[in-house]
Amino acid sequence: MMILVTVITYLIYQFAKKAYAKWSMPFFHPLLLAPILLIALILLVHVSANQYLADSKWLTHMLGPATVAFAVPIYKNLSIVKKYLGTIIISITSGTLVAIFSTFGLSKLFHLKYDFITSILPRSITTPIAVEVSKEIGGLPTLTTVFVILTGVIGGVVGPIVIKSLSIQTPIAKGLALGMGAHGAGTNKALEFGEQEATFSSLAMIFAAWITLLWGALLIPPLMNIHLLF
Amino acid sequence: MKVWVIIIQVLFIHVFLFLGAAIKAVIPLPIPASMFGLCLLFLALYLKIIKLEWVEKGAVWLMAELLLFFIPSAVGIINYDEIISLQGAEIIVLIGISTVVVMGITALIAEKITVRKRSEQH
Repeated sequence: MMILVTVITYLIYQFAKKAYAKWSMPFFHPLLLAPILLIALILLVHVSANQYLADSKWLTHMLGPATVAFAVPIYKNLSIVKKYLGTIIISITSGTLVAIFSTFGLSKLFHLKYDFITSILPRSITTPIAVEVSKEIGGLPTLTTVFVILTGVIGGVVGPIVIKSLSIQTPIAKGLALGMGAHGAGTNKALEFGEQEATFSSLAMIFAAWITLLWGALLIPPLMNIHLLF
Repeated sequence: MKVWVIIIQVLFIHVFLFLGAAIKAVIPLPIPASMFGLCLLFLALYLKIIKLEWVEKGAVWLMAELLLFFIPSAVGIINYDEIISLQGAEIIVLIGISTVVVMGITALIAEKITVRKRSEQH
């Protein structure tokens, strides 16, 4: 079963990737199209969703080594990291603060439930770390994963629009914005702009993860106390 | 065969993940094993303990296929259908607005600093 599930998931993913490359419409985003096709297939052949999830667990596990692998672009671009370290830290610290506060404010506005808010706060960082922060602040890891993915898909769509409408010119600003706003999916999008943009995007992703880990301990607990007051 | 090179290198990258898990077991901080693993792999490369060629192809593959590893979790949304029907639209609007603001501010700050630095150099 595990092999069958893997092969089917891989084939559908490849198909979605090709479709997205060809038509480049938001609906064809691999993170949207592939899960929809898979859910349809699961319902069609009457396999339980939990069976599928159990058999595809090792694919999710690969997020671990994939996170480790981001050491390679940092190492290869060490001179760029050193040169732009200050810019990266200032931009990404601001980005994480805006992410947490805007998400919190809008959650209050939309009257989301307590465990929804704790699950959605870490949404702009990469899944394995978002899940860790979520657990730490009392969110639901599975729900966080869903919010992270939604962020990735939405970020991949709005990212290029934001960059264009603010007429952002430098590769560093484009890359940092995509990696900060939409983690891995943003980095994937950044590849379409160029190699430099992708490098800065993966750097943004890693720094955002580290800085949000810090906020997860320092900033979010008091914020959730404020939430309980009102 | 290229596929075997990738498989062996991905397995080798796991060594750093496991070392990261070992560190996590010792240090009681809410930092995932993969983050420690990332730092360890970086240090191993930086201190020339391992060569870039030993991990590069595997790492490039893992990063290129990143979206694939998200797909099972995305299918997991099926278990949360009540959320989607209850507040799905609000959540999508929330994420959309927040992401636009986050990207806009990050891009503007990075652009401002970079342009200013350039003009100082000239």
